[in-house]
Amino acid sequence: MDEDRVPLFRKWSYWYALVIGFLVVCIVFFNLLTKHFS
Amino acid sequence: MSRPDWFVLALTLLVMIAYGLYKGRASKDLEGYFLSNRTVPWYMVLLGIMGTQASAVTFLSAPGQAYTDGMRFVQYYFGLPLAMVVLCISFVPVFHRLKVFTAYEYLEQRFDGKTRTLTSFLFLVQRGLSTGISISAPSIILSSLLGWNIVWTNIFMGGLLIIYTVTGGAKAVAYTQQLQMIIIFSGMTIAGYIVVHRLPAGVGMSEILHIGGKEGKLNIITTGFEGKGKGFDWNDRYNLLSGIIGGFFLALSYFGTDQSQVGRYLTARSLTESRLGLLMNGLVKVPMQFLILLVGVMVFAFYKYNPEPLFFNKSQITVLEHSKYKDSLAIVTAQYDALEKQRLAGGATGADRAVYKATIRRWLDDVGGDSNDTNYIFLRFVTDYLPKGLVGLLIAVIFLAAWGSISATLNSLSSCTIIDFHKRFSRGVSENREYQLSRLYTFFWGAFCVAVAQLAYNLGNSLIEAVNVLGSLFYGVILGIFLVAFYRKRTGGHAVFVSALIIEIGVVVLGILIQKKIVLLSFLWLNVIGAAGVVLLSEILNPILCRRVPSSPPRRG
Repeated sequence: MDEDRVPLFRKWSYWYALVIGFLVVCIVFFNLLTKHFS
Repeated sequence: MSRPDWFVLALTLLVMIAYGLYKGRASKDLEGYFLSNRTVPWYMVLLGIMGTQASAVTFLSAPGQAYTDGMRFVQYYFGLPLAMVVLCISFVPVFHRLKVFTAYEYLEQRFDGKTRTLTSFLFLVQRGLSTGISISAPSIILSSLLGWNIVWTNIFMGGLLIIYTVTGGAKAVAYTQQLQMIIIFSGMTIAGYIVVHRLPAGVGMSEILHIGGKEGKLNIITTGFEGKGKGFDWNDRYNLLSGIIGGFFLALSYFGTDQSQVGRYLTARSLTESRLGLLMNGLVKVPMQFLILLVGVMVFAFYKYNPEPLFFNKSQITVLEHSKYKDSLAIVTAQYDALEKQRLAGGATGADRAVYKATIRRWLDDVGGDSNDTNYIFLRFVTDYLPKGLVGLLIAVIFLAAWGSISATLNSLSSCTIIDFHKRFSRGVSENREYQLSRLYTFFWGAFCVAVAQLAYNLGNSLIEAVNVLGSLFYGVILGIFLVAFYRKRTGGHAVFVSALIIEIGVVVLGILIQKKIVLLSFLWLNVIGAAGVVLLSEILNPILCRRVPSSPPRRG
């Protein structure tokens, strides 16, 4: 039976924070790129 | 293609087949054939997931899309990272705990046999047809640009991989996908490097981005509110909102309920490794797609310093040369060439090029040709400007991208056929016989998909466009069934089965209305409508149709 544990972090909320933060960084970076080079 | 190109192409494909045959020596039972005995590490799961999702068209169309429409297509993947976390918490542990072969097996334990049969059937229909198209689409592009015979191109695109997929099953698929992804990324990196290398001295990435930005190709973030002050454009396919919401539902459905993906992460050696593969996919997918699209912007900048073809798809120019527009084409071509020379000498802006290109498209529409040039841009650049040998490598990249995606799909189609249908309806089949039948079904589905590819070519573009939206017609409903299974514990099989049938009919009707442009809505929203429709309707119907409240699924293994 597999152990049901969260990979790399202690809680799933950390993963939620990571992917939402990652997405925000991507959107801000892409937006700056769009604005800077337009 | 030159002789070195043929050599590189043939060698790459032969090495891949030999590698698949060598690595695919699995144990001769269903666990080995479909799940690689659950021994695959997380990084191979990651490459398998990426290789299954990225088809040949991904690498052909995406750069062309950035060239014509800009980079906003990347927003399509914004919902994916969040969907990966939700999947890892809810879907993946259940599949692992129950030790299922297919995602649809769970539905029988949670609801009943008919819901499982319906969902697996929807998957087989949708995936069987769309895989045929994913063979046909790159074959048409290659045969048009290189003058190859379409039947043989279809057979090479969708047929050769059957050799190692039939023999080695999921293990061969996993190992070949790993090698395929390495070759694909190397090929794309080399192509990107050569674009920059062939630009005039002093022109680098900064200038490329400035050119792309000025021409609106770096429109990475769009809100859907840009047009005419009329509010949100529901027909706009790629914007922030549709990317996050529609993309989230699409990713949840694709990775959580499509057996071609579920079959990849079920091969992992533990639940944690399945989850890691999916979570890492969520983090690398957006940057990867950004880089593929960036190649398109780089090619766009390249043609600012080099003559751009009047039409990238050479075969369509041949079509016009044999039409009533033959004489007009000669005049337009001469004028266009003169304009290009003038532009490159610094004497014209190049703004008039669009008029000439629009004329060609109009003529092609009139004579029944293919006026969509987007898919041909990148490959035309490759064949015209890459050195000998590298052209063969880039064409091998297209084949390998197709193989990675198709081999995983054939394995999943076979697993659903044997596990969800054959095994259930014919009892007393020995383990060895099941294994032999699985190989037979893999071969059958391979032959079926090649036949669909040939049929798609014969029927033309309209069918390809129609089948391309097939995923959106089915994914939402399938996701809805799984969402009820996971999150609405009191809903019974009867209610969800009837709801799925009603909503599926509704979504297909809506899809037809969208196709006929009676309803202006992006197809991405059908995933949301299908999923939400099944959840809501089953809630309403459950008190009326519910015969029994199912208990929580039994634990096995």
